[in-house]
Amino acid sequence: MSTIESTSRRLRSDYEERRRRSSRPQRQKKKFSLLSIGKGLDMPFTLIILVLLAVGITMMFSASYPSAYYQIGDSYYYLKRQLLFAAIGLVIMIAVSFVDYHYYHRFALFILGVSYFALVLVLILPAQNGVHRWVGIGAFGIQASEISKFAIILFLAHWGSRYYDRMDTMKYGVLPALAVFASTSLLLFLEPHYSCIVIIAILTVVMLFVSGIKLKWLIIGGVVLAGLIILLWSTGLLTYAMTRVKGWGQALSASRDDLKLWNDTWQTRNSLYAIGSGGVFGLGLGQSRQKYLYLPEPQNDFIFAIVCEELGLIGAVVILIIFALLVWRGVIISLRARDRFGKLLGIGLVTHIGLQVILNILVITDWLPNTGISLPFFSYGGSSLMMLLFEMGVVLSISRSSNIEKS
Amino acid sequence: MGANQRLRRRTVWLLVIILAVGFGAVIARLGYLQIVSGEDLQRRAVEQQLSDTTISAKRGTIYDTNGKILAQSASVWRVVLAPAYFQNDEQREFVAKRLSEILGLDEKELLEDCKEQSYYVSVKRKIESEEKEQILKLQNEIEEKYNIASVISLFDDYKRYYPYSDLASSVIGFTGSDDQGLWGIEYQYDEYLTGTPGRIIAAKNAGQTDMPYGFNQNIEAVDGNSIVLTIDESIQSIVEKYMAQEIINDAVYNRGVCIIMDVNTGAVYAMASVNGFDLNDPFEISSEAKQKINAIDADYLVKNKIVEDTSKLSDEELKKAISDAKSVAESEALAKSWRNKAISDTYYPGSVFKMVTLSMALEEKVVNADSRFTCTGSYQVYESTIHCHDTSGHGTQTYQESLMHSCNPAFIQIGQLIGEEKFWEYYQAFGFSDKTGIDLPGESEDQFFDWEGVEGAMGPTDLAVASFGQNFSITPIQMITACAAVCNGGKLVQPHVVKQILDKDGNVVKNISTESKRQVISKSVSDEMREILERNAIEGSGKNGYVAGYRIGGKTGTTEKLIDENEDGIKDYIASYCGFAPANDPKVACLVFFDTPTSGNYYGSVVSAPVFASIMSEVLPYLEISAQYTAEELQTIDTTAGSYTGMSVTDAERQANLDGFNVTVKGEGSTVLAQNPVTGSVLSMGGTIVLYTDEESSSEKVEVPNFIGSSVAEVNLIASYYDLNVSIAGATLSGDSEAVAQSIEEGTSVSPGSVITVTFAAGSIND
Repeated sequence: MSTIESTSRRLRSDYEERRRRSSRPQRQKKKFSLLSIGKGLDMPFTLIILVLLAVGITMMFSASYPSAYYQIGDSYYYLKRQLLFAAIGLVIMIAVSFVDYHYYHRFALFILGVSYFALVLVLILPAQNGVHRWVGIGAFGIQASEISKFAIILFLAHWGSRYYDRMDTMKYGVLPALAVFASTSLLLFLEPHYSCIVIIAILTVVMLFVSGIKLKWLIIGGVVLAGLIILLWSTGLLTYAMTRVKGWGQALSASRDDLKLWNDTWQTRNSLYAIGSGGVFGLGLGQSRQKYLYLPEPQNDFIFAIVCEELGLIGAVVILIIFALLVWRGVIISLRARDRFGKLLGIGLVTHIGLQVILNILVITDWLPNTGISLPFFSYGGSSLMMLLFEMGVVLSISRSSNIEKS
Repeated sequence: MGANQRLRRRTVWLLVIILAVGFGAVIARLGYLQIVSGEDLQRRAVEQQLSDTTISAKRGTIYDTNGKILAQSASVWRVVLAPAYFQNDEQREFVAKRLSEILGLDEKELLEDCKEQSYYVSVKRKIESEEKEQILKLQNEIEEKYNIASVISLFDDYKRYYPYSDLASSVIGFTGSDDQGLWGIEYQYDEYLTGTPGRIIAAKNAGQTDMPYGFNQNIEAVDGNSIVLTIDESIQSIVEKYMAQEIINDAVYNRGVCIIMDVNTGAVYAMASVNGFDLNDPFEISSEAKQKINAIDADYLVKNKIVEDTSKLSDEELKKAISDAKSVAESEALAKSWRNKAISDTYYPGSVFKMVTLSMALEEKVVNADSRFTCTGSYQVYESTIHCHDTSGHGTQTYQESLMHSCNPAFIQIGQLIGEEKFWEYYQAFGFSDKTGIDLPGESEDQFFDWEGVEGAMGPTDLAVASFGQNFSITPIQMITACAAVCNGGKLVQPHVVKQILDKDGNVVKNISTESKRQVISKSVSDEMREILERNAIEGSGKNGYVAGYRIGGKTGTTEKLIDENEDGIKDYIASYCGFAPANDPKVACLVFFDTPTSGNYYGSVVSAPVFASIMSEVLPYLEISAQYTAEELQTIDTTAGSYTGMSVTDAERQANLDGFNVTVKGEGSTVLAQNPVTGSVLSMGGTIVLYTDEESSSEKVEVPNFIGSSVAEVNLIASYYDLNVSIAGATLSGDSEAVAQSIEEGTSVSPGSVITVTFAAGSIND
């Protein structure tokens, strides 16, 4: 005779046995072998990444070689470094794709801690160019905000999957996210790094929205945020942003008579000149004129202006379509994930990329103030490229996990 | 609704928002910028990539009539900093220090320039090639040391040079710092001289160095046209030499004017306002003027009514008032030195004008061979008594004699015969009522009588004084133009100083042709006037302007200015002479004019006529107008001693006689060992050649006698008695000429045969 208790115990042990049995052979498959690198990877997504990386590095080289030639004396200076970073980044991406993303569940709070530590550390370290942004060891540095963005996506995915059934409450749905966002924003505000605040604000909203919180909280949050910005503005605390914002929208109307405004809007103006010069078909690869010291640092945030000048509207749209495909494919991968954590994490990461692309182009076209948002896969920079490829590795890990589940 | 479903649905919404709204907005924005405003943005981009490379056009050259360069532009450079490329203060300090050493600028100010966040700070203009070389070296040094290029750039520029510095300064004029013409020809013909600045549309990067590859579209600078003047540097030099000399001799207070003009074409060969100024440094105030300016003090302010009472001013106000007065005085001094008196000054023409009055009378046939004019020393016109310079009176004269005596009462009578209406008509016809329209800036208008506001209407005594050139003002250029009309057959020509405009390759762009405005008097009247004026220059009031060997016609003039005394308490006189040559077929007219001689001499016949003669005696041979000596003059014509040394005495004697010399042989030898004057010396025809035949005789000396006060014949006689030679200079044709100077003083021991220059002047003459 069996009791309900024993029945339930047996059922449970059966379940566990079944689970053990089913998982064992899969673990064996995961043994590392060069031939099995591609196994389970989402091929369209991987291909899109490689295409973007190839186009991005090519354009970065084209944009950077005059300034590298004139200012450093080596036309290949940026290319050599970016190739090295890309190679390391790809290795990181592949390696990370093998790591079961469920590990990050456990590390979500720890990584959030690392983010806070880095944000506090940069405030203690001496400022560079008037801002506290970089933490580094020797020549290698990373922006603290890069860690923070990943940490917040990870934390919100972790939280949203763990308490998925309580996300429509205020206590679980709103307050923790708000606390993390507010504290991180405060530290970014002190750096200062306003554009990053904007990004994490949008990311937080997106994550909460997808996690299923009540829409009224988002509306309330939006109103509060707007009020806060107006308050900061009116009290003059946005000193750094002011100088940038001051020239916002005036790039083409500024004259040399107001030398400060002229210099403030120099980069944006030359960006617009470059974009306009491209026309529909562009001047041809490598034929940009604006990169000849007119557009400062053309390899960084304003690289897409040179892309527009050389490849024209057609080239720019093709590249944007590839970015859109990346987001599209990333969202599909995320939705196919076995669990809610994977879905949320994947959506957060690809949304981040889409967001960066949109904001970057709005900046170079003078629809947003010049605030320092780089273009993924295109802008020069070792740590951000490696961080990006690391995140792509995480998305691939999600795809690998769900693909293998199916097979 | 399950949590998973909601997630899926919200994710789809998110995707739509990102792709449709986000990417949609981005593509729309790019499309707008690249299609709608693409052209404008591209134009602005190209402008920026090219506009900084404007290159100056070279300003055209100014030549004299023979192609001698009077004004020329030479390459210089402009130094420009792009301090935005500096990376640290060490670099800024280094560059500021080195630049201050090379360019002689203030280091502190340069350091300020270096700190600007700009790509274009102009540091110094018009540096010369020596400094440019040093800058180029510094550029390399900076590049090697700091690895920053294009911090210092050099741009092409031009600087104006005037090889003859003050020659014809008020005519040529000068340019400003931006190469724009400010005065004279430089101003008047600025649009021709300037040219069109070009652009090198080779693409440049923002650092102004060439791109590694480029798209080249060059718009060359079109260099300015060159101007060929009618001014002849040689004639101008002759004129300025004698003018400057006379200004010293008779302590001329307010400069002098000389114009030499082709009577048939109006081409001006020389136009001098002496003393001029240095065209290469036009803003330098003469030391004389500087002294006066420095002497400005409180008393000066009161005296010139700038302030009423200096004691009412605080120290600071007083200082300011003085420094203001000084800067006013400085600009006045500059304006005065730049002033082209030949066209800007107006003066009473005085007796010179009598040639015009007589022309009117002859043309109107109001005088004829039977006309007689009586002068008792003064003449009553209404209530005024007008005196003649010869207070004892000239008696009864023909009109020819009236002019030769320069008799005012006679001319009052001639004027009355002409009548006010006709006088005004002819005044206009001779071009006095209009500017001549000479192609130079700053020409003044005349000031003629107006009666109740109507110009040309004269009051009761106006005609009387006008007929001998008083109480109305004209410019020197108007006077010489009228004089040309009197002697050239009656045509009023357009005076001009530019002959041709050439492009940069020397092709003629424009020829300035002779413009004859109108026939003023008939040829027959002009012919008669020439004869009268020629006689006047030989034996009348104009005889000090006579040039031996040439047929000269001319008239003197002396006038007091309207203002009785000038600021320095000097009575202002204008001494002038206006004449032409050759009198039988006039080629050139010359007007000489001195403003306020202060030596005590102020008559045109004494001050200006000899200068006229000296100038013409060099200018006429230069113009290859052949001399025609009278029999009398042949006595005084200079010739050149041949070589007789080494010949036998008899051969030498024969040869010297053939050459037109008398011979005196000294010593006992049979061969000529030496001669005096030596070969090539200039002496009078019929002079004496002394031939030495032994050593002893060559040490013989004679004492120079006194020639002063003797006539030409007497001088020749005395000279031959002493075995000396004379070279005759000055006015000798009229009967009463006497020697006024000798080149070697009385009592000096000289070798026999030495040449002594004796200068003659006509006896006392009045205008």
